[in-house]
Amino acid sequence: MTYFHKQIKYKFFNLLPILLLFFIALNGNSIIDLKLFSINIHYILVYYFVLKKSENFGYGLIFLSGIINDVVFGFPLGVNALSLLVIAAVATYVRFVTVRITLLNDWITFISALLLANLVYFFSLYFSEYSIDYMHLFTNSIFTIIFYPILWFIFSTISRIANS
Amino acid sequence: MNTSRDDVSISIRSAFLKEGTKQKFSFLALITLSIILILVEKNETKPLNFFRSFIKDVIYRSSVVVSAPSKGFSNFAIFVKSHFNVRNNYYLLKKENEELKNNKTKTEFLELENTQLRKLIDEQVSSKNNLLSSRVMLDKQSPYLNSFIINVGGNKNIKNGMAVLDGKNFIGRIVDVNFFSSRVLLVTDLNSKIPVLIAPSAHHAILNGRGMNKPTLEYLPEKHMLKNGDKVYTSGKGGIFSTGIPIGKIKIEDNIIKVYLFSDLEQITFVNIDLGNIEKNN
Repeated sequence: MTYFHKQIKYKFFNLLPILLLFFIALNGNSIIDLKLFSINIHYILVYYFVLKKSENFGYGLIFLSGIINDVVFGFPLGVNALSLLVIAAVATYVRFVTVRITLLNDWITFISALLLANLVYFFSLYFSEYSIDYMHLFTNSIFTIIFYPILWFIFSTISRIANS
Repeated sequence: MNTSRDDVSISIRSAFLKEGTKQKFSFLALITLSIILILVEKNETKPLNFFRSFIKDVIYRSSVVVSAPSKGFSNFAIFVKSHFNVRNNYYLLKKENEELKNNKTKTEFLELENTQLRKLIDEQVSSKNNLLSSRVMLDKQSPYLNSFIINVGGNKNIKNGMAVLDGKNFIGRIVDVNFFSSRVLLVTDLNSKIPVLIAPSAHHAILNGRGMNKPTLEYLPEKHMLKNGDKVYTSGKGGIFSTGIPIGKIKIEDNIIKVYLFSDLEQITFVNIDLGNIEKNN
């Protein structure tokens, strides 16, 4: 019974990031937009779990969640999928070249991932002739960087529970 | 210099091609697929439209199911909030009721006068509009795109560009039609440009969406005499929408002519779509 219980717990916590990935995409919560700030939790989620638990977090799933996000938010198909894949690519590269994993390392490399993803996002929308509020995109990026450590701790706790 | 460049390229290749990190889907294939999807977005061919409509309809329906608990929670929060506002609302409604009673007599007289004048010029008194009602299925407000999804699409003869009304007020237009759903681009969106007519000055202008802020009027004549409270209607220029659909009223703030909409875009559950002459012609 205990073994069975542990197995269920292990599977649930292993699946939790993927469930979260699709839940926020389908529910339109990938960008938490409040009065004073907005955070792109989709980017943080993808970056963190590709960096730490890439065996559960396939590119196919990331691509699919990006497509869902595009449809829910009304963007041309492929825009979010492409920027999420860029985030995943930077995370894969960082995972490969990093020896010592610390929050600071992750945080600094996340900035470069975000810059690259936003660049791709900008060009995709520019060529699709979609206007967006670039000031909002800028503030969103700043707050996404600021809030990264908080979500890092939350996701680390989830990972720790799964491993325990 | 060459050595460090080689190191980077080797590590990039190793990161993506190493056996241990190999994935079910090739990274490059997915990147290429994303780019192809972006490039063919404006391509209007039958198989592509079918593919897009199918994907979007499936995702919208799934999104409705997934977001049901959070929607229920937010409805509950609105209910609790409105419950606490009952007292204030009572006094507001009482005041409004008195004002309406006073206006009723005036309106009755104007109606009578209007009917007599219409008879005089032999005008046929009938509604020009051909409206179809629809329910808002998904209103996930993206911070970058002000739009929502309604539950009718190609199955009800909906076409791109049709005007969408809240009651009788203009709120946006159809920009994306699927089989069983359509996307409505609201007038507040950055991509929204609507030709309008201003009463009583009869100036033509373009109503420009500004995202989070109120829409503004552009391309006005240089010496216009607009003032606060002037009404804004669709002009029907270019034959896109019917003429004279009310949109909002003007408020000038810091020399910017803003338009306060007659409808509250955050409280819309049902909308009317102006089908124009489609069904009449059939």
